[in-house]
Order: sequence, then structure tokens, then C-alpha cells
Amino acid sequence: MPLHIIACVKQVPDPEAPASSFRVDEAAKKVIAAAGVAPVISQFDALAVEAALRIKDAAADTKVTVVSLGPEGARDVIKHSLAMGADEGVLLTDGAFEGDSYTTALALSKAIEKIGDYNLVLCGRQATDWDAGVVGYGIAELLGVASVSLAKAVTIQDGKVVVERVLMEGYDTVEAPLPALVTVSNELGEPRYPKLQQIMMAARKQVTVWGAGDIGFASSGVRANLERLFQPVSEVECEVVEGETPDEAAQKLAQRLRDQKII
Amino acid sequence: MAPSTELPGNIFFYLIIVGFSAFFVLTIAARLIPFLQAKGAPRFDHLPQRISDFMLIMVGQSKFFRKKYWYSGILHPLIFWGFLVLLIRSLNMLLSGVADPLSLQHLPGGIFNYWRPVMDLFNVAVMVGLAMGAYERFFVKPQRLTLNLDAWRIIGLIFFLMVTDILANSFELDLEAKKEAWSFVAYGVSGIWTGMGLSHNAIGDLHATFWYMHLTILFAFLCYLPYSKHSHVLTVAFNVFFHSRERTGVLQPINIEAMMENAEEGATFGVGKVTDFNWKSLLDFMTCTECGRCQSNCPAYLTDKELSPKDIEHHGRMTLLSKTPTLGSLLKGKPATAGEPLNLVDTMGFDSIWDCVTCGSCMYWCPVCIEHVPEIMDVRRYLVMDEARMPETAQATLMQIEQRGHPWRGTQFSRSDWMQGLDVPLFDGSQEYLLWVGCSGSLSERNIPITQSLARLLLQAGVSFGVLGEEETCCGDPARRLGNEYLFQMQAQQAIEVMKSKNVKKIVTACPHGYNTMRNEYPQFDGKFEVLHHTELLDQLLKAGKLQPKQGIAETIVYHDSCYLARHNDIDSAPRRILESIPQAQVVEMERSRKTTFCCGAGGGHMWVEESKGRHINHARTEEAMGTGAKIVATACPFCIQMFEDGIPALEPDEEKRMRAQDVAELLEAAVSGAVGPPPPATAQGEEVGASL
Repeated sequence: MPLHIIACVKQVPDPEAPASSFRVDEAAKKVIAAAGVAPVISQFDALAVEAALRIKDAAADTKVTVVSLGPEGARDVIKHSLAMGADEGVLLTDGAFEGDSYTTALALSKAIEKIGDYNLVLCGRQATDWDAGVVGYGIAELLGVASVSLAKAVTIQDGKVVVERVLMEGYDTVEAPLPALVTVSNELGEPRYPKLQQIMMAARKQVTVWGAGDIGFASSGVRANLERLFQPVSEVECEVVEGETPDEAAQKLAQRLRDQKII
Repeated sequence: MAPSTELPGNIFFYLIIVGFSAFFVLTIAARLIPFLQAKGAPRFDHLPQRISDFMLIMVGQSKFFRKKYWYSGILHPLIFWGFLVLLIRSLNMLLSGVADPLSLQHLPGGIFNYWRPVMDLFNVAVMVGLAMGAYERFFVKPQRLTLNLDAWRIIGLIFFLMVTDILANSFELDLEAKKEAWSFVAYGVSGIWTGMGLSHNAIGDLHATFWYMHLTILFAFLCYLPYSKHSHVLTVAFNVFFHSRERTGVLQPINIEAMMENAEEGATFGVGKVTDFNWKSLLDFMTCTECGRCQSNCPAYLTDKELSPKDIEHHGRMTLLSKTPTLGSLLKGKPATAGEPLNLVDTMGFDSIWDCVTCGSCMYWCPVCIEHVPEIMDVRRYLVMDEARMPETAQATLMQIEQRGHPWRGTQFSRSDWMQGLDVPLFDGSQEYLLWVGCSGSLSERNIPITQSLARLLLQAGVSFGVLGEEETCCGDPARRLGNEYLFQMQAQQAIEVMKSKNVKKIVTACPHGYNTMRNEYPQFDGKFEVLHHTELLDQLLKAGKLQPKQGIAETIVYHDSCYLARHNDIDSAPRRILESIPQAQVVEMERSRKTTFCCGAGGGHMWVEESKGRHINHARTEEAMGTGAKIVATACPFCIQMFEDGIPALEPDEEKRMRAQDVAELLEAAVSGAVGPPPPATAQGEEVGASL
């Protein structure tokens, strides 16, 4: 039975853009897109695609579909995933999808249900812009499937998904029945570099585009309220405590710390 | 004079000629098959220049007259010119064998007589050359040579050719009615036979013996050539004539758009199998004589890496022969290739393909015009574009260029940060020059002060220039050198479009890689600009008196030539003139300088790619620079200076004793404006202490 894996990918502002180019609009509570800095695929999501493709390397009849929720420009991350080796791409784009992590998880789960006939859903552990890290598990809850987090290796064995799950001291091996959802962590390795032949084929592939109506999405409102968005300004005041000798300086420092009730 | 020109006496003559020639022609026919099936290469351009290059390099043996290999510079021309001169004698043999009236002795005015002493002289000269070669192979045994039996067979065959030539002629003189001394060597030898009192018949028999021996060895040698590394004798004339007339830093484009439109199954990008090479590369493989100059001057090889350009050519030859029908199979009517075709990447070695820094030293030293670098790069392109197999750092760099338009991952600078505090305008078409800052010049910490020095010098000299600022993107050089021709073309086309839209005509840049790409490779994509390196422009400004170095730098300065500047683009005098214009500066040279410069190690994308093993190339070069005792190493390339900045502290832990690395522009600015000493560290705009997230 050929497997069908769905990978969720998000397009994010470039996390490696120079810090000086990052600005927020406090009033609108939005990040201002930096001029001349192109958005990129969220790195953990690229690894989710990589995990799917590694399963496909082992079983060539596996089908990999990537889904992205975002603006029209998010097509680029779908194309990139196709160039890596994914088979189909779906773009969810609609003003109605704007909201919070719950909205995103709801929309994605509806799309996944519409695609249907899947064995495994792979997501990055968190998006590299907001780093909320809940959409993946939200999707699993909404779909009613088991979820395993922080995968460093994902394989299918005897109709089950086997995940090596990252721990601080090593890793656990976790099995789950299919269909299941797994979130992927950076310990998985490096996403593969697209071969030119595949870039060319991806360029010719059609991306399916769905709006809220296509997937039967009805927003139930946001569950998280963004109170304030701002860039903290860190001010550093450094006072060097002097002394004639190192001992004297140390004494003076200790006295200052005590005066400030730090020690 | 032939022993006989009538039947039945001359039957051996025809048997030898026809028999060996048939064997030779069939062997060559079999060998030609892969060439006829190979990709084309446009080498039929500029025929008059090709002819003059050919006369200089091949006939004139110009690539042999270099001090480093002076010994071969004597022995090889002796043998080669002897070969050319004695071709006349061989021709005469064939003519006289057919019919005596055809022989050259009967030319009017007896003009053949004037050639006879030349030929005899070369009989001896060739043997001297052979003796020199034998001495080198037997006693000196330089590391670059492959010491095999094949070479001794060649030496032996040529030696016996000369011996039988002299002997046959000496006997012939005794057979002639009037013995003339034109062939003075044969004349002298013939005195021995006269002195021995041999009968006329005996001399006739001896003459016939050595005449036929000479003829047989000649044709046997011809037939042996395709099976020997000496096959260059057959191919070198073509290899030199069709050599690349492009500058050595240029790589040829792949027509990716055309391939995208006709997406055929099995069409690969780059070269994965030997049959994907163009015919000139195949010719290179068959022309390599394993002299090893390429290897002995390769920075990768000299730092104990896997790569040897000589081995690349050798493996090319072996894989080619594995795809070449043997004579036996051809005669059976089934020109099948013997055995499984060898995998090109496995044969040449993954590391070897990636070790190359594209410095071009191999091609500079090769006496037979082999083009090693494009061949290695062809396989690298296959690895990257077709198989996506590359070192991790190469992959990260290519992704970086694709996603962010520059190779400097982790930079906190933007492309216009360096302009702070400087009155540098944006280019709007009204200025004379576009100052192409480059990715390194704007995003790399060590290079920003150099860009600023250059900008200040240009402003002071009143040069009309502007910059692209944030609109500048990577020129594409790292992508091309890392093998991603597709990414390169996208970058190049984007850059060309931006520059054309702003009506850019002249470009000046401080980066030799950008210089090389924009000047020599952008024309491939219809981007034709007048490109100057910053040292060329600064040199012009000095000559015109627009910049006056008044402040002295009383230090010893050693200048390091960037490969992409000196070897690939012949720019080595302008930077030196700039340094010499600095009062009190003492400019010294390393032995490996100008066109023989030793790579800093950052070419071929290696600025971003780790070395596979062995010693660091930049350490080797830094050591060489330190060996001159200079206090400052001057560079004119953003990569070279970073390589020295890394190598100097690694080799000299004591800060006080360390050599300083400075760009020529920084030194000139210090001399012009009086700010002496190392540049202040650059700071990113908006960077605060402790601001990292």
C-alpha cells in the first residue's frame, strides 16, 4: 500500500536578516516586512519535508503533498518543497485565515481532511518567526490522531510510525499507529539540496490553491489576544570599579554589591 | 636511396608501409569514435591568431622556456625540433622507396644538400636530449614524473631511430659514386666502414639492413603511439591549435534554458560520464604526457590533498579508453566498448573534484595546453546540479546565495552600512563609474574598511562614481565556482539587468573575482561593460597626479598576487606601482609571484568550503610571505586578505611579531592622507553591545 505523507510548510521572514533590518509597527502590532529581504521557508518545516522525503527514499511509491497557509507569495516555499522532491502542493490563501495559532491549525486540519487518504502528517516543531510551537499539535487534536513531538528520525515500520524523539540526554524511541502526526526538530539533519532536474519539474507543476470556502473553513474567532508587540531596548550601564590593587578593587566591588543589596 | 625500388626487392618496403599503416589507421578510427560522438566545442574562431599561437607554442616550444623547468626546456626542444627536421629524411625514405627519381636529392640546385647537415646535427642533438631525459628519469627522479616502463620504451625507440638513421646514411654514402660531406655525421661514421675495408656487397647489405630497420622502427613507433602516454605526438598539434583562447579564469555556460525546454530523459547537467565531455576535453586526456608540472604547482596537491590535476587527466584518459572500441572488436564488426564504463566521479574522486581552487596554475604550466580546471568544474557541476552531492559548507553557501543574494551567512551588515559618514552617491547614470562594492566589500567585516579607503581615495581624486547600494546582489562568481551554473546564471542575469537599467558603462571593483566574472563572463549573457580593477584605476590616478602619496610607510611590504588578478587577468604591475609610489616603502617579492603566484586558498568557492585534508593552503602561503621578513603583506583581493588574516595569527602566536595584512588601497590612503596603522574595526549599523537575541 503506497504511503501518503502530508507536510506542512510555512513561509517566514528571514530569521537571518541583519538585526538592524528588523522593525515592528507597535500601533498595528505587526512586524514590518524588511525591504529587500526575501522571506524563506521555516527551517523546521524544510526538515519536515526532508523527513517525508527520507521515507520516500526508502519506499519509492510514497506520495508527499505539501500544504502551506499564507499569502500568495507562499507559493515559493511550496515550489521549493516540490524542488526538493515532494509530489504535490496546496496553497491555502484567504484573508479569513488570519488569526492565531488555533485559526491556522483549524485551516490546515480542514485542508488535510479535504486532501484525505493520508497516513502521516509532518510539521516543523515551531515556526521560526513566532516560535509558538502549537500548530502541529493543534492539527493532531483537530484531526483526532496521535502526535509525537521533536523527531530526529522518522520511519514507517509494519504500518506504524517509529520516531526517535529528542531528549536532553539522548532520545526516546516512540511508536504510534497510523495515521499520526509528527513534529520534526533540527536534530534530523540538513534538508536536501534540490537537484536542477527537480527544480525544473517543480517549476512546471501546478499548485492547487484553496480559499476558506474550498475547505469549509469557518472561523470561530481567535483564542489568543496579542496585547502588545514591541522590541525591547536593552540598555547596558557598565561601571568599572577601580582600585590601587586587585584586592582593593575586589573589596570595593563587594561593598558596592552589598550596598545595592545584590549580595 | 632505397635498397631496391623494383619487384621483388621492394616487396618488404610496401609490406611494411601498408601493413603498419593499416593497423595505425584502424586504431585511430576506433579511437576517433568517441570524439565524433562527443559534444562540440567552439574552437574554430580567430584562425589567424590560432595559427600564430600554434607557431609560438608548438613550433617555437614557448611554454618550455621557463626558468623553473630549464632542464626540460633544453631537452624537449632538442628532441621535438629534431623530430620536425628529420621529418624530411623520413619523407625522403618513402619517396626513394617508391622510385629513385622522386627522392629529394634530385631537387634542382642540389638544395637538399643544405638540409643534410642540419638533419645530421639533429641526429646528435636528439640523442643528447634523450640522454638528458634518461638521466633525469634514472638518477634525478623528480616527484612530478610517472616513472614507468612506457617512458623507457619511447626513449629506446627514438634512440634506435637515430642510430639506424645515422648508420643507414653512413652506409649509403659508401655506396654513392661521389661521397660528399654534407651529412657530416654520417660522413664521419662512414669513414669507419671504409677503414674496415668492407666489400661493396657487404656495405650494400648493411645499408639495406639498417634502412629497413629504420623504416620498421619508424612505423612500429607510429603504431605504438596510440597505446602509449607518448600519444601526445599525434594529438598535441591539434590540442595546441584548438586551445582555449579565453582567459583561464573563464568557465563556459551551459544552455540551461534550452535544456529546460527540451526536457529529455537522461540529459544531465555537467559531466557525469566521460562521454559527456566535449571533444576538446577528450583530446586533452589523450595529450597528457604525465609530465606532472600541473601537479607540482597545484596548491591542493602541494598541501597533501587528494587532488592531482595530472591524475584527473589520467583518469579521464582511462575512462575514455574504457568507452573506446578496441581494434579487435572493430574488426569483428561490433564496435562494442570493453567492459563496464568506469564511473567518472568514483574514478577521479569526490574529494579531488572539490579540492580544486580554480587557481589555474596547472594550465599555466602545462606545455601542451591542457585545460584541467574546466574539466574538473564540469564534473563539479554534475555533482551539484545533477546529484546534489557536495560538501555541507558548499550546500549552505549555495542556499545562502539563493535565499539571501550573498554568500556571507551570519553577516549583520546591510549592503549600505559601509557608506555611513561617507559622501558616496547612488549611481544614477550621470556618473562615469559604477563602483561595484561586492558582497565581501559590504558585508564582510575585514573588507568594509577597504571599501571605505577606496571610496575616500576616489572622492579625493575627484572621480565621478556611484554605487548600487541595496540594489547590488551577488555577481554570481561563488555560485559558478561551486558548480551551480543555474544559480550563477540567475544571479548574473539579475545583476546585468540592474546595471543595464541604470545605463552602467564602466565598472570599477576591488574584487578580482567580481572583476573576472563581470569582465570576462558577463559577455556570455550579453552584459558588456568596461571593467577595471581598483588597482588599475588607482594606478591611473597616481599617474595623472590626482593622488599624491606624501606620508611615508617605512616598512618592508611583500605583495601577494591574487590568482584571479595576476594569473587569470595579467594584472600584476599596477598594484606594484602603487606600492612603489609610497615613500619609504620597501617592496619585496616572494618567489612564487605574478603569473606563478601561489593561491591563498580561497578560490573555487573555497572561501566558504572546508578543505578536505592536509595542510591549510592559506597557512602555506602565509608562511611563504612571512619568509620574506616583510612586516606587511599587501593584497588586492577581499579573499586573499581574509586568508592572511586567518593564517597570520595561526602561524605567529606573538602579536608583537606578527606581519600585518593590508589592502593596497588602505596603504595608499595611509600614504596620501597620513592615517598610518591598522584600520579601526567596522561596526554594523544599529548594533548595540549585548544586542544578540
